[in-house]
Amino acid sequence: MTAVLRLESAAERGGGRAEAVGDFAEFVRVSMPGLLRYGHALTGNPHDAADLVQSVLEKVGSRWVAVQRKGDDPLAYVRRAMANTHISIWRRRRRENLVADLPDTGAVAPELSRLENEPLWQALRELPPRQRAVIVLRYYENLSEAEIADTLGISCGTVKSQSSKAMASLRTRLGKD
Amino acid sequence: MADDLDDELRRLFSDDRLDVHVSPDATDAVLRGADRRRRRRSAMATALAVVTLVGAGIGLTQLPPSTDTTSADVLATSLPSTSSSSPPPPSISTVIVTSVVTVNPPPNPPNSTTTGSPTKPRTSVPPSPPPSETAGVGALVLGMSEADALKTKSLVEPSTPADPEGKCVAYATTSVPDNNAVIISPARGIVRLTLPSIAKTQRGIGVGSTVAEVKAAYPAATQSGTELRVEMTGTPRWTYVFETDGATVTTVRKRLNASDCPGV
Repeated sequence: MTAVLRLESAAERGGGRAEAVGDFAEFVRVSMPGLLRYGHALTGNPHDAADLVQSVLEKVGSRWVAVQRKGDDPLAYVRRAMANTHISIWRRRRRENLVADLPDTGAVAPELSRLENEPLWQALRELPPRQRAVIVLRYYENLSEAEIADTLGISCGTVKSQSSKAMASLRTRLGKD
Repeated sequence: MADDLDDELRRLFSDDRLDVHVSPDATDAVLRGADRRRRRRSAMATALAVVTLVGAGIGLTQLPPSTDTTSADVLATSLPSTSSSSPPPPSISTVIVTSVVTVNPPPNPPNSTTTGSPTKPRTSVPPSPPPSETAGVGALVLGMSEADALKTKSLVEPSTPADPEGKCVAYATTSVPDNNAVIISPARGIVRLTLPSIAKTQRGIGVGSTVAEVKAAYPAATQSGTELRVEMTGTPRWTYVFETDGATVTTVRKRLNASDCPGV
């Protein structure tokens, strides 16, 4: 155990680290525009998108070597993390808001999202974040039900039910029923 | 109607107005933040490691040395190094599934399950029982608390966060050099255990088994993406998760059904 510990920390502190930092910087530069766009789809506004991307990338970057070692595509990993982080942030906020009763409007100035006048965009805003995440993963990321289940750590059945609930409320809001 | 909404959603999500302007110092801000988090964590990990090593030292002076090294020593001979620079490649060897039927295997003897486990399980005569179909792997058992798991000395420290929220923690083990071999939830205890790549399930399934072999051995297996899952009986309730590359098994895990860790 001690030997492994020493090996790991030596590798992290040694020349490998500088290389990893450079590598991560390049990853951030290249993936940032796409991630912000994806974050915008997930959160519904550019400010939250920027916050979400920033915090997830910080966490991933702080253990970049380990993330790479996993062998997963780092970009896919970041996207998964963003979906899950967004859902849990919302849960926390909702708990706070239940107590504080913060005004929901006004937090986001309308001009912030250029899609604000789109009825579908407005309808998406009303969805709970997990339902929204399912929709984004399906229509933005083009993931299958099984992949969505895997990404969000929920069962395929839950993906199906969340998806159909989301589609139903979108239809209702858009007056398509 | 349904197609309408599908199309509209696709159109909306490919709209240029979804683009967000990237501020010029965005990359630097992320790098600074990542560095800050890393330094903070490694300070904490160092403190924890010192505590654990001191604890281990005390433990060693009080224990006969043999109990402490068994599993690591035996397995180290047949596993790739613990550096784990890449995930285990799909095995290219042909697996001859020998009928390793275990009669009443010992239910999780602490610390010593792997002592006599076969280092070359592909021989015709199983030298000793393979891991039994219990909710454990070696001395670790699903549902076990992090503190108890650390006491088995099967976990390789330091742990890493298992999810971006840091809700659960992940460990490599002395027999599985993967950082996510074991995942532990603060509320539910161990929610994931990964079998060593040389290990077989009681029904002879392990890394390299084909999808068809899994389905033959476990007719109840259900496919979920590239994973095959088999819900097992017993307490706590758990599920075998056979991760595949589409054709053969690449990883075998045991998952606590009551897992509350994201993505596990």
